[in-house]
Amino acid sequence: MTRDRRIALWGLSVPLGLLVLWQVLALTQSTPLFPGPVKVGVAIWSNAPVILSELGITLLRAAAGFALACVTMIPLGIFLGRVRILGVILSPLMDMLATLPPPAIIPLVMLFAGTGDWAKIVIITYAAAVPLVMNSYEASLSIHPMLSRVARSLNLSRIETMRLIDWPSSLPMIVTGARLAIASSLLVSVTSEMLLSTNGIGTYLQRSQETFRVDAGLAGIAFISLAGLIVNAGMARLERRWLFWHYRDKTGD
Amino acid sequence: MTSILTADAVGKAYGTGSNRLPIIKGLTLSVEPGEFVSLVGPSGCGKTTLLMCLAGLLAPSEGEVRFKGQRVTDPPIGLSVVFQDYSRSLLPWKTNLDNILFGMRRVTGMDKAAKRDRAMEILSAVGLTGFDGHYPWQVSGGMQQRVAIARGIAAQSELLLLDEPLAAVDAQTRADMQDLLLDLAARFNQTCLLVTHDVEEAVYMADRVLVLGPRPTHVVREIEVDLPKPRDQLATREHPAFLHARHEVLALIRSMRQRTVAA
Ligand SMILES: Nc1ncnc2c1ncn2[C@@H]1O[C@H](COP(=O)(O)OP(=O)(O)OP(=O)(O)O)[C@@H](O)[C@H]1O
Ligand SMILES: [Mg+2]
Repeated sequence: MTRDRRIALWGLSVPLGLLVLWQVLALTQSTPLFPGPVKVGVAIWSNAPVILSELGITLLRAAAGFALACVTMIPLGIFLGRVRILGVILSPLMDMLATLPPPAIIPLVMLFAGTGDWAKIVIITYAAAVPLVMNSYEASLSIHPMLSRVARSLNLSRIETMRLIDWPSSLPMIVTGARLAIASSLLVSVTSEMLLSTNGIGTYLQRSQETFRVDAGLAGIAFISLAGLIVNAGMARLERRWLFWHYRDKTGD
Repeated sequence: MTSILTADAVGKAYGTGSNRLPIIKGLTLSVEPGEFVSLVGPSGCGKTTLLMCLAGLLAPSEGEVRFKGQRVTDPPIGLSVVFQDYSRSLLPWKTNLDNILFGMRRVTGMDKAAKRDRAMEILSAVGLTGFDGHYPWQVSGGMQQRVAIARGIAAQSELLLLDEPLAAVDAQTRADMQDLLLDLAARFNQTCLLVTHDVEEAVYMADRVLVLGPRPTHVVREIEVDLPKPRDQLATREHPAFLHARHEVLALIRSMRQRTVAA
């Protein structure tokens, strides 16, 4: 415990040192393009309401796209793993899409679907879909045959087997996919706003840059990092709650 | 006609074409209600495969299996399997109690509370009182085995197919488990078909021992075990009928081994 705390203090000293260094460097410069931490702190304070509401829009779209991807792609992945032929036919396509950076499709989708909320949500869904479907597919392929036997011996239907056996036993891998999908959703949500949008944190960042408000931009970035940290902590918490049996502490054997 | 389970000229092969590997060929057996039957056979001869065919988990390539007169195509209600790989057969995300309740999904005529009471009763019968809230991975291998057995019985089972349930436990635990199994079979009216590679265990437990031959396997001989019940680890094992049956099974296995080595 104390050892952990000492390590944590050391870990804290690095960013603190960097902050001091940054302030010193900023003081030696006299351009608004290189604001120091104090100036950024003020920007964070004064821009917080705007940033939070813009960030809220961005996160909402990311969440909508991510949720849409979850409810469609996880069942699809499990299904593809269960129905071997379909999986074999579709897996080259999945591999191909997996290597395509999701932002690459932004201009294309915007051409067809416009630049409204739904167009962005579609793009985010796509970005989140790839890791989700791939991981749930792989997970459902690697379910131990014994569990399938147990399902068979209780005469579970295909849907019941998916829900009661495949879903929980694939959950550890699906959660790994979900982590990637969340990162991807946030990335694409922000990127799509930078390309064409009238609101959202991406637009805010872009506007700060265009008006040379580097301090405001940095304030926006600070809030994005914070949001990322919170999301990550939430995920870690859910994992402990849902997957304790997977990360079991082996006291039994 | 009154048999609870029959297999008639059952054959099973894995693979197709030149990879075709016949495992079971022309196997016929029957189990009567209330009986305890042991199946012994050399390692890898196809005992697990046979059990899967009997349970409706694998379709035989030839012949047919009947459970209570009905042809088995899907796993029938009233027949439970305790798998050889029992620890993997328990769901790690469910507690021991929930694993047993999961096995009771097809039980009819009981509400939730009644199922729960029944599950708790069986848990205590297998000596796991107080472990209902534990997860399978939190208890020992022997306890996991007993959870798996409890799950089998709880599923309104009349016939238990047990695939080498005691292969992995030490000698003392093994003797205790043998007596526990006999006890459970009597208490819950279970007809049992026990696969084992331990000849003494086969004789000790059973009313009848079926000896399987090498691959492709079938029943080579059937040996009646005329021993008083309840069985007793000391008296039964010293009984002349025990020694006689044990001798017969061992001699048969030895002669089969010599024949396969010579061939
Ligand atoms: N799905 C399968 N496909 C092909 N061959 C298989 C399959 N399952 C089992 N076999 C083979 O069939 C033979 C019989 O296997 P089985 O598990 O039924 O034997 P067993 O008597 O239960 O063995 P053990 O004593 O090790 O439990 C083995 O040679 C095994 O390699
Ligand atoms: Mg086996």
